[in-house]
Amino acid sequence: MIELHGLTKRYGDKTVVDDLTFTVEPGVVTGFLGPNGAGKSTTMRMLVGLEAPDAGRATVNGRPYTEHAAPVHEIGVLLDAGARHPGRSARDHLLALAATHRIPASRVDEVIDVVGLTEVAGQRSGGFSLGMGQRLGIAGALLGDPAAVVLDEPVNGLDPEGIRWIRDLLRGLADEGRTVFVSSHLMSEMALTAEHLVVVGRGRLVADTSVADLVARSATSVRVRSPRAHELRSLLAQRDVVVTTGADGALEVTGLRMEEIGDRAAGAGLAVHELTLQQASLEEAYLELTADAVEYHGSTTRTPTTPAPERTAA
Amino acid sequence: MSTTLAPTATPGAGPGRTSTAPEHARHASRAVSAAGVVRSEWIKLRSVRSSTTTLLATAGVMLLFGALAAAVGSGLLATPPDAGGPDGGPGGGGPTATVLAGSLLAPLVIGVLGVLTITSEYATGTIRSTMTFVPGRLPVLGAKVVVLTAVVLPVMVVATLATFFLGQLLLGAGDAPTAAIGDPGVLRAVLGTAAYLTGVALLGLALGTLLRSTAAAVSALVALVFLLPGLGGFLLPASWQEDVLVHLPSNAASSFTSVAQVPGALSPTGGALVFAAWVVIPLLLAAVALRRRAV
Ligand SMILES: Nc1ncnc2c1ncn2[C@@H]1O[C@H](COP(=O)(O)OP(=O)(O)OP(=O)(O)O)[C@@H](O)[C@H]1O
Ligand SMILES: [Mg+2]
Repeated sequence: MIELHGLTKRYGDKTVVDDLTFTVEPGVVTGFLGPNGAGKSTTMRMLVGLEAPDAGRATVNGRPYTEHAAPVHEIGVLLDAGARHPGRSARDHLLALAATHRIPASRVDEVIDVVGLTEVAGQRSGGFSLGMGQRLGIAGALLGDPAAVVLDEPVNGLDPEGIRWIRDLLRGLADEGRTVFVSSHLMSEMALTAEHLVVVGRGRLVADTSVADLVARSATSVRVRSPRAHELRSLLAQRDVVVTTGADGALEVTGLRMEEIGDRAAGAGLAVHELTLQQASLEEAYLELTADAVEYHGSTTRTPTTPAPERTAA
Repeated sequence: MSTTLAPTATPGAGPGRTSTAPEHARHASRAVSAAGVVRSEWIKLRSVRSSTTTLLATAGVMLLFGALAAAVGSGLLATPPDAGGPDGGPGGGGPTATVLAGSLLAPLVIGVLGVLTITSEYATGTIRSTMTFVPGRLPVLGAKVVVLTAVVLPVMVVATLATFFLGQLLLGAGDAPTAAIGDPGVLRAVLGTAAYLTGVALLGLALGTLLRSTAAAVSALVALVFLLPGLGGFLLPASWQEDVLVHLPSNAASSFTSVAQVPGALSPTGGALVFAAWVVIPLLLAAVALRRRAV
């Protein structure tokens, strides 16, 4: 379990991570979403002590990462997938990392096998493709058999097969009871992989929600087509209900359930030719969330459609 | 929210998920240890070709320059008519100094090895994995010092001794005066040269850690070791020159890498202490910087 309490980082007078408080639970894949520059990578660097926070703290299993005797046993991290010496073989790269914790060579060969690099492990890694480099980075993250894995944009630049491989790997790690925390700026990818989402915008927490909740709570509207749309429109008009008329004359109703609309139309004897529930996609829900983060800059940034993040007592 | 670790506390667990999923089986893992970090740095050093290349190049420079200088000094190769000191060497430093002529260039090559030991990590980004595996950071610098010393010093001792004996053989073949390893100060000069080259590698490591860039660190090293001793003569007021110049790394080192004592130079012991300070102080500064700065 990874816990962040008021984590804050400033570069100059720019606050790039702003009072982040949330918990990443074991057993599920948690997506860390936010637009470019939202502070995801900075947050992850602080998690593993590469960068010191200006305020707040981050702990893994109750203690700061840097205070664990065998830190890579707690968190395995992939921050920069391209990071390797081109003249060094994949196996030597991993052996050097493993040696720090006296992790045996057999474990090195094991993770090489898990990521599917066995055949090229002895070659100089300079010639690796983007995907092979990514796999090597993930092998490094798995080396310490960590309780939590933290991966920064692991699918960036991967082909569909590679993406599916990572997705399956992450789910498998979560199913084993590990904490899995993965950043992305693509909601479409996270929607397929993650069960829980932490969304940040401009360094601030925008949402801390399960994917299911986000879908359920994202704005829905009902599309109604009726030959007597004008009458139907006045029939539906009330406080908290917004009705707009589309180009094709159909009504777009928010604030009323579909059943309610149908019942009222039937009660007034108005014919209805179409009644469709229109659900905002996750992508739209996400864009809405992060747009608000910008709009409400400088104040609390939670929107009504967002469940209040579960916070630990301060 | 509870702080329990049990998977049952997991929010958002899907319906298909068993709430009693066992903690994954975990490998026994041992703590970060100094010995482990040293081993890690040894694997890094031996697994890239540039380490071997620079190490052999340094030894090669010593041998080649030594052999050439000896051949010239002994008359085996043609020389300008008035070259040669009282005891046969060009430059007049004696037969030991003659054959150690390579120590004018070798520091640059071995210095680059020291620089690359850390700057290649910044250049490739591996510094971030290195420092996440060893969050204390200082053991990494310590291990680099240990491994660099353990590799460079023995190779340089062998190289300078081989250079000395080969050079004396060549000098003797041309009937030029020769030195024996047992002559006063000769062994000190030969081994001192090996120590000097090792020290320059460590200074390179310190500069690389402080500057994080190969180009910047090599430039700083060249300025400190090669340019300042010459430029100082122009840049400094005459009254300062003697005091300042003798304390520069290469000049301080020359007091223990040469047999003959130059008037005004530091004593061998004094020179050794000053040169050691040129290695230790930058390393300490590097340690502080490594600890305080973000990776
Ligand atoms: N070392 C640094 N010095 C100054 N500013 C920095 C530094 N690192 C990051 N920043 C700034 O902090 C902000 C957050 O950057 P960060 O890389 O954490 O964002 P991100 O969410 O990972 O974005 P992306 O999706 O593009 O990877 C950016 O505006 C970036 O320019
Ligand atoms: Mg990033």
